[in-house]
Amino acid sequence: MATVQVSEAEKVYILHGIRDDLRADGRGCEDYRHMEIETDVVSNTDGSARVTLGHTAVLVGIKAEIGKPRPLVPNEGYLEFFVDCSANATPEFEGRGGEELGIELSNMLYKVFNKHCLDLRSLCISEGEHCWLLYVDVLLLQCDGNLYDAISVAVKAALFNTKIPRVHISADEDGGKEIELSDDPYDCMRVDVENVPCIVTLCKIGHRHVVDATLQEKACSVASVLVSVTHSGSVTCTRKVGGGSLDPESIFEMIEAGKRVGKSLHAPLMKLLQQEESLGKRRQKVGFLG
Amino acid sequence: MPTDNKRVRGPELSQSPALFACKAAPVAPQQGPRADGRQRDQVDVRPVFVRCGLVSQAKGSAYIEAGDTKLMCCVYGPKETERKDETDMKCGRLTTDMRFAPFSCPERGSWVQGSQDKDFSLMLHESLQPALCLHKYPRSQIDVNVVVLENSGSVLAHAVTCASLALADAGIEMYDLVLGCSIRQDGGSYVADPSYAEETYCSSDGASDQGRLTVAFLPSLNQISGLQSDGEMSAETLTAGVRTCIEGCYKLYPVLQQALIKAVRKAGPPPSES
Repeated sequence: MATVQVSEAEKVYILHGIRDDLRADGRGCEDYRHMEIETDVVSNTDGSARVTLGHTAVLVGIKAEIGKPRPLVPNEGYLEFFVDCSANATPEFEGRGGEELGIELSNMLYKVFNKHCLDLRSLCISEGEHCWLLYVDVLLLQCDGNLYDAISVAVKAALFNTKIPRVHISADEDGGKEIELSDDPYDCMRVDVENVPCIVTLCKIGHRHVVDATLQEKACSVASVLVSVTHSGSVTCTRKVGGGSLDPESIFEMIEAGKRVGKSLHAPLMKLLQQEESLGKRRQKVGFLG
Repeated sequence: MPTDNKRVRGPELSQSPALFACKAAPVAPQQGPRADGRQRDQVDVRPVFVRCGLVSQAKGSAYIEAGDTKLMCCVYGPKETERKDETDMKCGRLTTDMRFAPFSCPERGSWVQGSQDKDFSLMLHESLQPALCLHKYPRSQIDVNVVVLENSGSVLAHAVTCASLALADAGIEMYDLVLGCSIRQDGGSYVADPSYAEETYCSSDGASDQGRLTVAFLPSLNQISGLQSDGEMSAETLTAGVRTCIEGCYKLYPVLQQALIKAVRKAGPPPSES
């Protein structure tokens, strides 16, 4: 993770501010930074989204390919995640530096975006033989804390934007099956993202916890809790990260706060995505780092 | 991913015969006692067997057995750190490595460490680190290696327990032991310390509150050092689950204390009073 040097005096300043529910950038403890979402940003993908959260910028591209279903679940397609921490975001990621973080992030994505939230059966083409395989590639363009939340929102937006072409299976006289791709570019299948959760990261700083911590705030925190919440408020995944330990009571409070914040995140996000979708080609494109 | 060319790896693609079995889905009963006779909705953890100091070459080691879940842990160090570039002058470094023996699960695993093993290693690291006085070991490294010999559920929880025991056996200064406990939530009821079948069992679709939860707990400080859950649960169920896990951890505590006392006694008889 990208790190910043924070002096003792700065730490005390941040801590005291958070104690009084006022953070260095003027936010309250449960406020997000300004978030920008744009979908359909890369033309070569089947679905893509760009999310900026403060100075954190994430780009997600989804490619759909036809593969063989896993033997254990022959009637379901699946998702593959890869997070690339390129040296663009911070020089610490150069070479193999970002690999560990990349694995950590992609493992978390596997856990969060699983069969509980997506209808994987709709990705099946013919049982046991062919299924859709969604490659979700996440690119970190800029790092300024709170990667998990930004990535989860970006993945949800990209899944919403994903258009999988329809295929028809025709059997010839020998019983062999042939896959036929629809010619019409508008004849496509969408992924139902209704139940897809968002991750909320809560950082314990002092006696309180904050949502969407910046790098400076992260440096003051001993441990954080990730909570992934669906639109109905059920928790699909939790995880403690960081080197410290937490009091059971504060964990309960953080789960409760995560649920509250996550639940309120979904409605505006879906509204925005639908609004952008309805604009169609008339929408003005902003592009990366814009 | 580094591949190991020296080992004969068998055919590229092979599948477990279990996949071809006719699928008479083993429906775990929703009510009544569990397959191994334990009770549902109670903190009925499997009795554990623990021993310290079994590996002679390691600084500290521990072996734990809970039902059919068997794993061992070795601790090496503190020694000079290998990665000079990341040397922290003030603090020691903890490295954790958790591996599954290829034959430990019903499906054969691979020798190279998969992403699941790495994930477990990371969680082990996060659970153990708060308990260690790493500031007492500047510029040095402590290695924790866990090998899962047999996986019969709740592996991560027992790995945490076993690793903290091995660290204590190695004489590494710690604030507290770390205990792990996990539960499987299945609708309105839960099972503590689930077996492999109970852990992987998928209940019918649409049922709410399906999930797994693992907690690592420092009993005398009353702190949670590790928390990991997946599945879909309401916040209330999750909170109740964490409380259950804490209770489960307290049940293990005296067993570990006894094992440590035994190991210390064996290592050196008390000096005579004369």
